[in-house]
Amino acid sequence: MTVKYFATIRTYAGETERRIDDAPAGMRELLTSLAARYGTAFRRAVFSGDQLSGEIIILVNGRNVVHLEGLDTPLEAGDEVSIFPMVAGG
Amino acid sequence: MFGWTGTILRIDLTKGKVSREATDPQLARDYLGARGLGGHIVRSEVDPKTDALGADNKIVFAPGPLTGTFAPAAGRFDVVTKGPLNGVLAASNSGGTFGPELKYAGYDALIIEGKSAKPVYLWIKDDQVEIRDAAALWGHTTPDTTDLVRAETDEDAKVSCIGPAGEHLSLIANIMNEMHRAAGRTGVGAVMGSKNLKAVAVFGSGAVKVADPEGFKAAVMKARQMIQAHPVGGTGLRAYGTDVLVNILNQSGALPTRNFQDGYFPTADKTGGESLAAKQLIRPKGCFSCIISCGRVTKVDSPDYKGSGEGPEYETAWAFGADCGIDDLDAITKANYYCNEYGLDTISMGSTVACAMELFERGIITTEDTDGVQLTFGNTAAMVEMVHKTGKGEGFGAKLAQGSYRLAESYGHPEYSMTCKKQEMPAYDPRGVQGIGLNYATGNRGGCHVRGYTIAIEVLQNGAVMDPHVTDDKAGLGITFQDLTAALDSSGACLFATFGIGGAELTEMLAALTGVDYTLDEFMRIGERIWNQERLWNLTAGFTKADDALPQRLLTEPIKTGPSKGHVSRLDDMLPEYYELRGWDEEGVPTEAKLKELAL
Amino acid sequence: MAKVLMIHPDKCTGCRNCELACSFEHEGQFRPGASRVQAYTWEREGMSVPMMCQQCDDAACVTVCPTGAMHRSNALANLVDWDAGTCIRCKMCTIACPFGNARYDAASSSIFKCDTCQGAPECVTFCPNGALEFVDDEQHVRSRKKAYAAKFKDAFQEVS
Repeated sequence: MTVKYFATIRTYAGETERRIDDAPAGMRELLTSLAARYGTAFRRAVFSGDQLSGEIIILVNGRNVVHLEGLDTPLEAGDEVSIFPMVAGG
Repeated sequence: MFGWTGTILRIDLTKGKVSREATDPQLARDYLGARGLGGHIVRSEVDPKTDALGADNKIVFAPGPLTGTFAPAAGRFDVVTKGPLNGVLAASNSGGTFGPELKYAGYDALIIEGKSAKPVYLWIKDDQVEIRDAAALWGHTTPDTTDLVRAETDEDAKVSCIGPAGEHLSLIANIMNEMHRAAGRTGVGAVMGSKNLKAVAVFGSGAVKVADPEGFKAAVMKARQMIQAHPVGGTGLRAYGTDVLVNILNQSGALPTRNFQDGYFPTADKTGGESLAAKQLIRPKGCFSCIISCGRVTKVDSPDYKGSGEGPEYETAWAFGADCGIDDLDAITKANYYCNEYGLDTISMGSTVACAMELFERGIITTEDTDGVQLTFGNTAAMVEMVHKTGKGEGFGAKLAQGSYRLAESYGHPEYSMTCKKQEMPAYDPRGVQGIGLNYATGNRGGCHVRGYTIAIEVLQNGAVMDPHVTDDKAGLGITFQDLTAALDSSGACLFATFGIGGAELTEMLAALTGVDYTLDEFMRIGERIWNQERLWNLTAGFTKADDALPQRLLTEPIKTGPSKGHVSRLDDMLPEYYELRGWDEEGVPTEAKLKELAL
Repeated sequence: MAKVLMIHPDKCTGCRNCELACSFEHEGQFRPGASRVQAYTWEREGMSVPMMCQQCDDAACVTVCPTGAMHRSNALANLVDWDAGTCIRCKMCTIACPFGNARYDAASSSIFKCDTCQGAPECVTFCPNGALEFVDDEQHVRSRKKAYAAKFKDAFQEVS
């Protein structure tokens, strides 16, 4: 699967995207492993305690995980995950 | 009066006459200012069926009650007139510092009527008002005009002006303020051009007075803290500008691509706010009293497109980017600079070029029409050249200057114009985000994102979150946003203040400033009144239910690639509910009961 | 410890919240013309610079004042203060100040110059960009010197 980072998350990750060959079972596992890789700033951005932060937007194949199963959203090998901080404009 | 200055300035260009009248306190209370009060003036004084470019149209520059105070990001004003692009009751909102200066000069509104026989500009220094000869200004770009006017008036004068596009009556012409801030959409620049009015310069030494200084300061401090604590209002917009939206809309499958033929652009990241911050950003810029600073002071180093200025915003980066199949940010930014200099609306300009590209690729037009240019999607140099031609009104540019609807219609294919009520839609695909489609279709000035920005909830998770692919409850969402925005625009605040505060905070500031005992309920009712006022005027102008529509493409041609592949807009699922919740009949006409309720 | 108002034009966005805060604090209304600080913007260059009284040690406005209305404050170090009672509105201070930072306002018959809001400047409170700071007078020099040293450090790191 591919994970893509945007805006400040890109800064925290230090890269724009990452290919992951062994797809984790679900969103919680993915974010936990990414937080271990990228460190505190990334962890604080995505997690609020053990819940998904309200200030992070995570899309799986374009769908916000809020409309899927949140941290319990299952993942598959071909998925594209996009991670955004809250952004806006117009 | 507190908040309002109590005076409206009227200038008749036909007679060369200047007069003043008192601001009616009841109207000020019921319509606030800017879009609302300006709309009321135009509704009362201009026949909806009049020629928008005729002497009988009027153009009103109006700040709001909050304008000129330190309410956060509340330095805005509206240009209100009959819009020549599509004939609507047009209100073009702009930041910069022109609006506050008009307040300091002593005016709640400036009404310009009639038509001058020769080019003129206005010089308003407090209560001294002059109509001056503008022969030497005609033909100049907006930055040069600004400098020339300042040299003749006052170096600190605030200048609102048109460029060459407004002079040759382009229907997508802007009015530019202090060189970089635009009152755009609906072709308001052409109204100035039609009146032979090149510029308005203002210098004010007066004050905006406050009814309850302690209460106002407390309300402002609270609002400031809420915006500064917000991830978007506080840090996000300052760091990346509005162009940060390119990636999230693209990854959501709602970035209109190649004239809305698709909803996903694989290389969009090269045109987004992250790339802009890395390559072109010099520093953030704020409008008057802004604490957000979304403006981008930028420079382009590449030899082909070298330059400096401000921008691009998200809509601009999309219009000249994904919509034209272009991923060269330097060219996009350069096109933005040229639009500012010629005084052109970037959304309509980009979308009109995209429309021409589709006409070209389909063989409907050829190099014989385009002055020899291979106008294919992705042709960067051709895109920039089309902006030049449009700015000058030369060759094929004279056709582009009329907007995409008239362009496509003139070749017998209006279906390739991506417009609502003849105005180009902005950068969110209604097939990927259902609610925004309803807002484009019902928008009182045609295709527009800042009349009901449901994207905040459907994509950006700002405060609440709704599924973009669902149509349930989108009618109610759209109405709430439309009414809130109408009241907010009329108060003088910036829409981006809502990335931190809401109607309650705006009401609190308005009440302390003006001494009027506003409640949130009354504030939202004001918004609803303004929305219905615009609707009534448009209906009299000749618009019907049939105009509450989207281009056929969005209803029948699914998005081809990306996350929203297979989706179309389901406008018909939302529109009847919208009318019902609005208190309108099945033809979209406000009922007698609704009008009575709103005192219209 | 004495404090000084320090400006950072590189951070100024030209929003003029400083002017609004100043006029509101001193006049109870929003009148940038009455502000003791002005933020000037050059649109073509996209640059803005806030300007206010430098509170000079050897202040020309104090030297030329015939009545002592313009004087070094006894209460606050680093403050040149203006006393409305002893001022005769001769406007010599406005002529003498090389920066144009003392101005005469006909509407209120006052000399407008920054008084640091008597040690708690509102412009600093309202600046959303950190472009205005009220800092310890020694610290501001040290900070600036160190910031410049950091640029040297980065440059040397690149070549070494």
